[in-house]
Amino acid sequence: MSCLHKISLLVLTLVVAGSSASFAQQSGTTQYKCMIQMTNYMGEKAYIAVSLMNGKGVYEKTLYVLGSDKKWYPDVKEWYKAVGKKTTNISAISGASVAGGDRSVIVLEIDNSKLNKEYKLRFESAVEDKEDHAKDLEIPLTTEGLSAKSEGTGYIRYVRFSPNTSN
Amino acid sequence: MTISVWRYSHLVLAVSSFLLLTLASTTGIILAFEPVSQKIQPYRVDTISQLTLAQTLPVLKKSYTEISELSVDANQFVQIKGSDADGKNLTAYIDPQTGKILGIPTKQSEFFQWVTALHRSLFLHEAGRFFIGLTAFLLLLITVSGTMLIIQRQRGVKRFFTRIVRDNFAQYYHVVLGRLSLIPIFVIALSGTYLSLARFGLVGEDKVSPKIDFDAIQSKPERKLADFSVFKNTRLADVQTIEFPFSEDVEDYYTLKLKDRELTVNQITGDILSENRYPAAVLLTNLSLDLHTGRTSAIWAIILAVASGNILFFIYSGFAITWKRRANRVKNKYSADESRFIILVGSENGSTFRFAQAIHQQLIKQGEKTFLTEFNNYTVFPKAEYLIALTATYGLGEAPTNAQKFAALVEKYPQPQPVRYSVLGFGSHAYPDFCQFAFEVNQVLAGQPWAVPLVDIHTVNDRSPEDFGLWAEAWSQQADRPMPVSSDLLKGPVSRFETLTVTNNTRTEQSDGTFLIRLRARRRRSVTSGDLLAIYPANDHRERLYSIGVLEKELQLSVRLHPGGLGSGFLHELTPGETIRARVVSNDHFHFPQNAPVVVMIANGTGIAPFLGMISQNKQQIPCHLYCGFRQSASFDSYRNFLEASQTTQKLTSLHVAYSREGDRQYVSSLIAHDAEFIANALMMKGVVMICGSLAMQKDVIDLLETICQTKLGKSVSVYQSHSQILMDCY
Repeated sequence: MSCLHKISLLVLTLVVAGSSASFAQQSGTTQYKCMIQMTNYMGEKAYIAVSLMNGKGVYEKTLYVLGSDKKWYPDVKEWYKAVGKKTTNISAISGASVAGGDRSVIVLEIDNSKLNKEYKLRFESAVEDKEDHAKDLEIPLTTEGLSAKSEGTGYIRYVRFSPNTSN
Repeated sequence: MTISVWRYSHLVLAVSSFLLLTLASTTGIILAFEPVSQKIQPYRVDTISQLTLAQTLPVLKKSYTEISELSVDANQFVQIKGSDADGKNLTAYIDPQTGKILGIPTKQSEFFQWVTALHRSLFLHEAGRFFIGLTAFLLLLITVSGTMLIIQRQRGVKRFFTRIVRDNFAQYYHVVLGRLSLIPIFVIALSGTYLSLARFGLVGEDKVSPKIDFDAIQSKPERKLADFSVFKNTRLADVQTIEFPFSEDVEDYYTLKLKDRELTVNQITGDILSENRYPAAVLLTNLSLDLHTGRTSAIWAIILAVASGNILFFIYSGFAITWKRRANRVKNKYSADESRFIILVGSENGSTFRFAQAIHQQLIKQGEKTFLTEFNNYTVFPKAEYLIALTATYGLGEAPTNAQKFAALVEKYPQPQPVRYSVLGFGSHAYPDFCQFAFEVNQVLAGQPWAVPLVDIHTVNDRSPEDFGLWAEAWSQQADRPMPVSSDLLKGPVSRFETLTVTNNTRTEQSDGTFLIRLRARRRRSVTSGDLLAIYPANDHRERLYSIGVLEKELQLSVRLHPGGLGSGFLHELTPGETIRARVVSNDHFHFPQNAPVVVMIANGTGIAPFLGMISQNKQQIPCHLYCGFRQSASFDSYRNFLEASQTTQKLTSLHVAYSREGDRQYVSSLIAHDAEFIANALMMKGVVMICGSLAMQKDVIDLLETICQTKLGKSVSVYQSHSQILMDCY
């Protein structure tokens, strides 16, 4: 690993740690830039739901949905069963679905109070007429979790985070 | 009715896919308007074709804090994804020169989304996609079989775009539009099929992800974006997407997805880290999408919409054609064994059946036992007295599919009793081999010992009611029974009656002798030698036809006086100054040829009548040779002076006369046999042979010509008949 990379990781960690140290006082939100890299699967574009799960594994909030056609939402089964139907505001946070081999960069807005408290980020991915990966990827919502590169188990190859520079 | 393999498969494919095809075409028409509606939006920047990445990217870097992706869509709208100053997600169309935001992309409308899903998968997911893919494949097969049918109908690939004969609305436009939209429909079907195959992973190759050697990544020398040589050499118009480095780390890089390959570029030095050309399958899929959706060109999208509309029309017109054809199916009241009248039909697309049915119905109405069937069902007809053969010609002078076995069957099943036959050919002069198969049928029948000709072969051009009427008149006259067709088939301009004044009548002493009668029309009408004069001797429905020769602007008939003959008796009694009412029937196929290098005329008895007129009108002095036969020289005497005078004025080149009851006792056919070489030469140099006289003479002469053509020219006489080089008008 190059020197520059190490430095940037260190900076990232410090920034995240810094904000986590101060979140007790500020009950605001932080924006995280998140890159989702897909595997080279063949087929339709994938629908991905990014959700905030609490410590008991219960859906707490939909953070982001990739894919704008509501017709295919039921394909993202677990998420749809739990919150998909009820989430009225999806259109405000939905983007384009992603094809095999592509990547997508999104910005997640996460409540500072949830950090380092046993919450998890769950990425559920589904492709029309193919299987659905309810836990394609789960990342503990901790400072370390958000700094590492996390490998997926389904259509997602990996997810990487970086704090939004403008924040 | 037997139909060809291509027609059968064309129909089967259409029947099996028409529901899905209707749905796919209807939704296809709607979807074609999506690219059109996108194209009219104002996000396209004209300079995009000249801009390079080295010019564009630095500007964008400056204008936006974060860009994760830039894409250029099929409309050449440039779109970026990133985050705005507040860190919110941003997606916008921009001007690549200035970085200015031009607009925010709207989501695909729910309506188009819904129609697209219906078009692709019928809302049935995988199963639906399979059926739609199958439909596209069937459409491909329908296009191929349709093309084969057009080639067959037009007699060859070269004649693909020549004129189409119009049978009826559905048939005509099915073929005309079929030719016009052949290419777009073929493209739709082929690309649709390919997309389905790709969708099911049957043709695709996996995408290869870039392989990057991270240990070899350099962070020096640092260059400006504008100086990256790869960016200088890449035009924005060639870009599909550019993925920007996720962070400023040297291990994060630019990924350039161009039209034909994917590049990864070091974000600090501008070195190319990897380069992958797309496999052919990916390029083909992209091309198929472009062609199938019309997303790159509004004009093509509209062509696709029109072609889809045509598919709907083909479904309608195809079924209309099939329904008509099925309506022509044969229903017989009497069996083949008990019928006096046998009607044989040779037809490829069924239109000839209409005429056959009309005759059939009319005869049944008259209380006759009639049997109607296809040529290929020919067999022994033990009670048959009359045989009427109606046939079209298909391909290059070939038999229609349901008549191909006819010649063999005739040889196999000789009729036990004499049968009086008549052949009627259907066709169009638009095709070079006009009615050739009908001439062949006539030939085959003429060669049978049991077959007695009732009337000369007749042809019907473009289903002309007049042509058909001419045959019907001749037939009813010879069979001595009312006209076998109902009047509605004979619609068309009824020629008016003429009042003609007798100017001369040579009379004859003996019954069985011939005489010449001349008539003058009150008004000058266009009458040509070879036309027919219809007279009504008893002022009732009974009609008699005589060949006209036009001499000195008068109509001359040559008539043999039959004892008790209705027509000949009537004409014989006419004296100069008397008037009669008659009808001139145009007989186009037996006019003197305008452009022939040489004309050979063959006649016996009164059959010489039209030739006398033609010779007198031969002012261009086309080489003209007359072969004629009479019983004795006395019968020839009335023509002798005129013909010898014509020879001196070179309107007639040579004259050959045979007498059957005097001297050498020759028939006209022996004169022809003697000059076989000359006749063959005349035919070879596109000369025309005209035959007029009795059916028996015609039969002998045609048999002889067949031998001459076969031995000296290597072709059948029917070839010359169908090319109007042998013209006949016999009775």
